[in-house]
Amino acid sequence: MIATLGYLTLALAFLLAVYGLMAVVMGFFQKSPAWTESARLALLLIFPLITASVITLAILLAIQRFDVAYVYSVTSLEMPLYLRLTALWGGQSGSLLFWSWLMSGFSLFFAVRKWRDDADLLPWALVVVFFTLVFFLMLNVFMETPFNRFWHLPDGARVIAVLGPRGAWPLIPQDGQGLNPLLRHPGMIWHPPTLYLGFVGFIIPFALAVGSLASDRRDRRWIEIARPWTLVAWVFLSLGLVLGMRWAYDILGWGGYWGWDPVEIAALLPWLSSTALIHTTLLQRRRAGFMRWNLVMVFLTFILVIFGTFLTRSGVLSSVHAFAGSDIGEPLFIFTAILTLGSLGLLVYRWGDFASGYEPQFGFTKEVLTLLLNLVLLSILMVCFLGVIYPIISELLTDTQVTVGPAWYKRITGPLFITLIFLVGVCPLAAWTVTNLAKLRKRLLVLLPISFTVPLIAWGLGDVQHGVVLLALWLVGLSLVVMSAEIIREGIRAQRNSSWNLLSIVWKTLQRNHRRYGGVLVHVGIILMSVGIIGIEGLQQETQATLSIGESVKIRNYTFRFDGIDHFDAGDGRFVTEAVLAVLQEDSPVGALYPQREVYQNMGLAVTQPGLKSNLAVDLYAVLIDWRPITQDEATFRIFLNPLVTWLWVGTGVLTVGTIVALLPGSTQNRREQE
Amino acid sequence: MAHTAFSRSKSNRLKFIIGGGLFVMAVVLMVISATKATAEFFMTVRELGAGDQDLVGQNLRVSGAVVGDSITYDSEADQLQFMIAHIPGDEREIKAAGGLSWVLHQAVNNINNPRLNIVYQGAPPDMLRDEAQAILTGTLNTDGVFLAEELLLKCPTKYEEALPDQVEK
Repeated sequence: MIATLGYLTLALAFLLAVYGLMAVVMGFFQKSPAWTESARLALLLIFPLITASVITLAILLAIQRFDVAYVYSVTSLEMPLYLRLTALWGGQSGSLLFWSWLMSGFSLFFAVRKWRDDADLLPWALVVVFFTLVFFLMLNVFMETPFNRFWHLPDGARVIAVLGPRGAWPLIPQDGQGLNPLLRHPGMIWHPPTLYLGFVGFIIPFALAVGSLASDRRDRRWIEIARPWTLVAWVFLSLGLVLGMRWAYDILGWGGYWGWDPVEIAALLPWLSSTALIHTTLLQRRRAGFMRWNLVMVFLTFILVIFGTFLTRSGVLSSVHAFAGSDIGEPLFIFTAILTLGSLGLLVYRWGDFASGYEPQFGFTKEVLTLLLNLVLLSILMVCFLGVIYPIISELLTDTQVTVGPAWYKRITGPLFITLIFLVGVCPLAAWTVTNLAKLRKRLLVLLPISFTVPLIAWGLGDVQHGVVLLALWLVGLSLVVMSAEIIREGIRAQRNSSWNLLSIVWKTLQRNHRRYGGVLVHVGIILMSVGIIGIEGLQQETQATLSIGESVKIRNYTFRFDGIDHFDAGDGRFVTEAVLAVLQEDSPVGALYPQREVYQNMGLAVTQPGLKSNLAVDLYAVLIDWRPITQDEATFRIFLNPLVTWLWVGTGVLTVGTIVALLPGSTQNRREQE
Repeated sequence: MAHTAFSRSKSNRLKFIIGGGLFVMAVVLMVISATKATAEFFMTVRELGAGDQDLVGQNLRVSGAVVGDSITYDSEADQLQFMIAHIPGDEREIKAAGGLSWVLHQAVNNINNPRLNIVYQGAPPDMLRDEAQAILTGTLNTDGVFLAEELLLKCPTKYEEALPDQVEK
């Protein structure tokens, strides 16, 4: 009964979306705002309806109704409540419902906002929103519904349907299959929802851009309205990506955080294009230039989001992230194609009208550096895209499938990522349009020598020999020095004009220009993250050893001693084997690592849980690979030293805080007066 | 005046084009060199078993069904050995033949199916077991043994079954 109710509200939401789409279109034909208003009200209702469906599904998962096919496939009796609830997005149909729900949540923005002077943007934006909702709700209602149940038929057959045919009675399995053990991790709580919020949030800038282009409104209004939402989507996407890295680091046990899996890449693509977008919208705000470029970038971002959904959900790729094969691949592909062709058509149609006539001058300026940044980000994007589709093209062209792996991606994108660090570092030194070169020379004479201390310290104290790593570390040093100098200079300037209270200076400066300082913090975050990435990519050390109890193995100045192994039943379906590795640094004990192997007995599946001990300098990371029967007390370990990787997580925190600062309300009024 | 402004704007644009062009060329060169060095050819077990000596030393990728009885792991040498049996390389072909789990089952139990010896330096992964699908990257040596550098496994089993086996008792 509850399942049917959930399906009913979902179907109602779908019908309302169809109605809304028709109403907006009617509004165009009849030039009547009443239709648009009616569509707006329909949009207001869709969110609560889908919310009801989501709550219904959550209840079904919580009370373990295994006659519901979705509940059966993603939960089992042994799973704790929090995991049963996260199973809401653990399978294809549930996660698709969750996706539609978030989408309807973001689209409330269009229903709730007071449009006043911008009313011309609304109808076209509504077309986009309703079209997208109709599409995804159609998938939910007709193709991948989480509310299907198992039924017995009188002739002995079994079927899956929302409502049982005449004479059918429900089939209630005693236990479900359970969630894939790899997904049974606290990471499951945060990673998927954050990533989805990032993806789905881009509907707002996208719909506004379509509205601006279609209604021939040639100003930067859509960018102003979309700005906070673009940043919100971007920061959630960034967080989602990093949470995924952390999860992979914690559970997959290969000592890494990013495997260049096509589905990971699919999530990275919109991050790259939206990062480019955020930077070029700054140019448009200042110069009224790059109008068309911004439109291209926002279209590209949303298309990549939907393309990523297609890659993940269609079964065309096999990876840890991909859902099992399904029939929604074709509709998703068609939807991606419609979005792409529609956006292209609209751009071509309005291309001449949206020319800005502004031409930047070549030189060492923020404008040119921003263009270079775009070039680098888009190059990474193109390379990643090429890598994902390489098997498909090569098979078409040569009849042999050629694939590319992590080594390929690292070789090409490595130098490009290092260029990004360089750009973050030098950008504050450049003026917007004309840079005073004499001043620049003077500043570099001070800053450059200081920046060299970072690679020198790494070489002297950390014994880093690798040239590329030293280069990357130097650029990190340069960025940090330049950004600190910038902050100190402005601090001194602010101090001259006010009291000596440091806190009040910081507060006032932040208040006066929180957008800019938020941006500075985000860049500090990016640089700190790159420190972590340089550490694990460039300086990782590993060893493998088979040890008897009491024996030890050494990496650098760390000694790992095998102290014992324990086997126990965790009581929730897991049988755990845990080894104890004592860690000694220069012969004095500093702690222990507890690598585990968990066997899910019902499924016959095993999961490796590394033992981890981290500080700001280095992560000690051990994986228990194999052990002999208890009598011999011998086990095989793979041990990693991952230097600096903690900075990846710290940097992400700084980036998040920076985005929040940039999003704080206020002082926009002053800014507008200044302009 | 108009003439100088025009030629200045022209030379300005030229700088952007040259700068951007050089950058794009550098990226293209990196793509070409990385592809030459690391790209892998996807082959089936049957194609590899044909004894083509040109394949020796190439970067290869092969997919097949793990033969459970053949798995041995020497923890002293940290060396894993097993065999995989031929399965079709094309997803559609697999679907047409009755789905992945059926194709894997058939592949292992059909004696006439070509098999390939795999040697992998490293520990057996969690999912290595009979009738799992293995996707391997590595090279072929002159004896026709596949030296795997990377080992990916996929178990279709339980997650793809639509209807439950066990019924209310």
